[in-house]
Amino acid sequence: MREPSDLRNRGAPLIDGIDKVTGRARYTADLDHAAALVGRIFRSPVSHAEIKRLDVTKARELDGVFAVVTGADCPHTYGVLPVAMNEYPLARDRVRYRGEPIAAVAAVDTATAEQALDLIEFEMHELPAYYSSPAARADGATLLHDDKPGNIEREVHHVFGDVAAEFEQADLVREDRISCGEVNHAQIEPHAILAEYDPAAQRLTVQSVTQVGYYLQLMLARCLDMDVSRIRVIKPFIGGGFGARVEVLNFEIIAALLARAAAGTVMMQLTREENFLTHRARPHTEVTLKLGMRRNGQITACACEVVQRGGAYAGYGIVTILYAGALLQGIYNIPAVKFDGYRVYTNLPPCGAMRGHGSVDVRHAFECVLDRMARELGLDPFTVRRANLLEVPTRTMNQLVVNSCGLSECLDRVEHASNWRARFGKLPPGKGLGMACSHYVSGAAKPIHWTGEPHAVVNLKLDFDGSVTAFTGAADIGQGSSTMVAIAVAETLGVSLERVRVVAGDSAITPKDNGAYSSRITFMVGNAAIDAAKNLKAILIEAAARKLDARADDIECVSEQFSIGRRGQARLSFAEVVKEALIGGGALQVKGIFTCPPEAQGGKHKGGAVGSTMGFSYAAQVVELTVDEPTGAIRVDHVWTALDCGHAINPLAVEGQIQGSVWMGMGQALSEETHYLDGLPAHSNLLEYRVPTIAESPPIEVQIVESRDPYGPFGAKEASEGALASFPPAFVNAVANAIGIDFDQLPLTPDRVMQALVERRRKARASALKGQAS
Amino acid sequence: MTWSMPNFAIARPRDIESAIAAREQESLSVFLAGGTDLLVNLRLGLGHPKLLIDLSTIDALREKSLATPGIRIGACTSLMELTAMPAIRQRYRALAQAAEAVASPPTRTIATLGGNLCLQTRCVYYNQSEWWRRSNNYCLKHEGNVCHVAPQGQRCHAAFSGDLAPALMVLDAEVEIAGRNMQRRRVKLVDLYREDGRAHLALEADEILVCVHLPPDPPPSSYAKARVRGAIDFPLAGVAIALAADGKRLLQLRVGITGTNSRPFLLQGVDALIGGTLDGDALHYLETLVQKQVQPMRTTTISAHYRRLAAAALVRRLATVIAATPEETGQTTGIADDQDHRAAT
Repeated sequence: MREPSDLRNRGAPLIDGIDKVTGRARYTADLDHAAALVGRIFRSPVSHAEIKRLDVTKARELDGVFAVVTGADCPHTYGVLPVAMNEYPLARDRVRYRGEPIAAVAAVDTATAEQALDLIEFEMHELPAYYSSPAARADGATLLHDDKPGNIEREVHHVFGDVAAEFEQADLVREDRISCGEVNHAQIEPHAILAEYDPAAQRLTVQSVTQVGYYLQLMLARCLDMDVSRIRVIKPFIGGGFGARVEVLNFEIIAALLARAAAGTVMMQLTREENFLTHRARPHTEVTLKLGMRRNGQITACACEVVQRGGAYAGYGIVTILYAGALLQGIYNIPAVKFDGYRVYTNLPPCGAMRGHGSVDVRHAFECVLDRMARELGLDPFTVRRANLLEVPTRTMNQLVVNSCGLSECLDRVEHASNWRARFGKLPPGKGLGMACSHYVSGAAKPIHWTGEPHAVVNLKLDFDGSVTAFTGAADIGQGSSTMVAIAVAETLGVSLERVRVVAGDSAITPKDNGAYSSRITFMVGNAAIDAAKNLKAILIEAAARKLDARADDIECVSEQFSIGRRGQARLSFAEVVKEALIGGGALQVKGIFTCPPEAQGGKHKGGAVGSTMGFSYAAQVVELTVDEPTGAIRVDHVWTALDCGHAINPLAVEGQIQGSVWMGMGQALSEETHYLDGLPAHSNLLEYRVPTIAESPPIEVQIVESRDPYGPFGAKEASEGALASFPPAFVNAVANAIGIDFDQLPLTPDRVMQALVERRRKARASALKGQAS
Repeated sequence: MTWSMPNFAIARPRDIESAIAAREQESLSVFLAGGTDLLVNLRLGLGHPKLLIDLSTIDALREKSLATPGIRIGACTSLMELTAMPAIRQRYRALAQAAEAVASPPTRTIATLGGNLCLQTRCVYYNQSEWWRRSNNYCLKHEGNVCHVAPQGQRCHAAFSGDLAPALMVLDAEVEIAGRNMQRRRVKLVDLYREDGRAHLALEADEILVCVHLPPDPPPSSYAKARVRGAIDFPLAGVAIALAADGKRLLQLRVGITGTNSRPFLLQGVDALIGGTLDGDALHYLETLVQKQVQPMRTTTISAHYRRLAAAALVRRLATVIAATPEETGQTTGIADDQDHRAAT
């Protein structure tokens, strides 16, 4: 039996880990689809056009084709934000990016489906297309959406404190303009869905790769004009999310439309190229950041302009641009903050949420500028961060509550582990050390859909056999959320982990959950699981008290033994207590909930809810690297990272999540970037979209810092995103340390490094010549 | 999910002659060795053969002879086998290094020597799906009329991206080619290639590359490739050098380059350095030669100019390293270590 103390010390392997590594786990593509039709999508060949004619007659008449659907089959828009649903699952009237779905077919096999796609007749009138934010914002540019002048999806202008006066207080003011390339989640499992329509019962069942089953259920009901009670959403095993599946995706609705039209079952599996076309990841971002700093490193003011190239539709865009501004705060003490954000429509696949949503590129710029200013002032990078730490509990100017913060300890840990003081500035040529900090929310305190329901609900069942089953709608997408629920229940009940089963992500069985996004599950579902377990424990203690003829207050339960007092003589086994508890009523069903209080839900200013959370995680990171000047290649030699996750409910999983975050940040810093050629994705395979390989993977030393959040489950906060955003700036700062060049771009592919080195040599020659001449 | 594979039959001939006969009988046929490149392209809709002629079952293509003089290696030898051969690791080091720099271990287990030499040229406008290429009106290499890399030009600029060719070229390799009527011919590897991305192989449709001959007593050699990642990536520029010196006096120097042009090639003009020392001027001269002779185009998402500079930098580095330690380059150790620098080596 695995004792709770073991769990606290080492953590538990994920409860579904063995299934995954042995291949027993069934992902969507593994589901039995022998009898299913194959769904395929006809996609726009152009970036921007009015649809003049769409004729699917010949496709429909082809032998083996069971259904063809077009925009005419779905007059409803969809989208994750109720205020910004401006996208049709299948284009109507107009296409706005190359690859946008226009029609779809369901056929007996792939070859027939592809043949049918070739029979679709499509005529259009092309419109001007824009592939960069400046081009889309230029005077006279054709509007992608008629109600959005200037092709601006959302402008945000926030000012907190007296910005001008605080800049006056600074001894040094510096402004940099830093651009970050667009990246993609590149999750290993490509998108897939199995949609089954039962015409007799008029019910739809979908099994999809979603992180947000509840949203999917709502959106399918909306787009198919169905009663939501007729739709069941099941989440099979998921091969990675990272935000790729955090909003309902067009192919999910299309597959459901096809299944209903065919009155049958449709399997739709997207190619890697189609995954890149579906996109919904981190946008290309231009950050112009101005900071004021005193000689001692204290920040006086911050002015930040962010322009995000959002792609053709709204998606999560408004939230992304709001996060960019909101999370300027909540990590350092800054007396005045001005934020100007622009989310721009362009003729490219729509962007969306990706690990560290909205915060990563801005944090990158911020931490780079901090380092440059530290250098100018002759201060150590650690000194500058320490000069600006928050004192908790506090409420930031934009009304974010911060109840716990272990950033100071994170700084101490990585400074010590990397032997920073002895080595910084003393490495041989070409080698560099850099550091940076970051933070992230533990769940959005205000949900997207305001229903008045709790933020999370967990049900528990205890039956005659003594087994405890937890039912949760929370989507385990590989991050270990089901294991977390099992541990939370087992620890609270005082039973072994093996006694607890978790059933997750089936709308017919599990209570609704908002989904796996903004790192909300541990904090919210974890608290709900503890609440449920406490409620169940109370019933068991009552039963034990009855049986032992004692007061409930005197009953102790440790290691599945109930006794009167901790060393009580009379003892009951778990089975005996369960037997007693079930008398008269049978199987027990209890529920636990969690709700974020209104005071944690952000400020009253427009967009003030975004960024609000019950708890922030904090990270500090040191990167050591080598730059090979002749080829411009950078090798990351070592990473030290410390994350304050409040408390590690499962240290093993926390360590894995931190390493994954660091590694994903490394991809964005080193090599990952999308490239469009007139709107066609040149990067749409894993050769040209260069996710790092194990050859690039450095040793990552993880330090877990536990600040014990007063509201977190067992004091826990999020652990899956916070460490990402400090990698790219620590990396760029280390490159500056190694070769003396400050880079204003991401990623630092060898051609960019080489270009900068060539430029420097050219300038050196020019100034030498100038010196000779004078 | 991937796009569906076209319908084709597979022939499994037992000898070279049957393979050539099969090729003659079906004009819409292609030879298949490891298939690590061919099958990916077929899935993308690049070609619709009716017949794949599998060469992997032909024993004659797998034969290896280590008997002196020289070495003879069958074209269907896998890259993994190649890197494991002590004779190759010890004496033909550039070849072992080049083979180890290809893709990843699973791919190297399947990919073959002949397949790498006959690798299809690559371009960011070509190695894309049918939908992608159709949306872009195809290209000169396949079904189209325009080379999007150089729209004014007359030829396809797709880049040859095999790692082995430059290594074998500097080792003065010859390839043996079988044709119809039991004919055999033997040519310098350099002469197998043409500077045309659409037709870069000087092979008749019904000719099969049988084996590679390597002369004995090669000079010390080495291979390095510029790439973004330490695995998987094709070379942005790949460089092999064979260099022999007597003390400081250069006796022999050959430089082979891949990844930058539609063909791999031997650098011209290096003979001017023979008899001299490899000093700063000589290295500068070498770099200039490289920069003049490579012709990288926008065939990848990494800039063409970078590939030019990286090729020159790698030539300088390899030449310097080999010249400094001529006695060690023939040794068997250190191949893995040298791969550690990614783009660096």
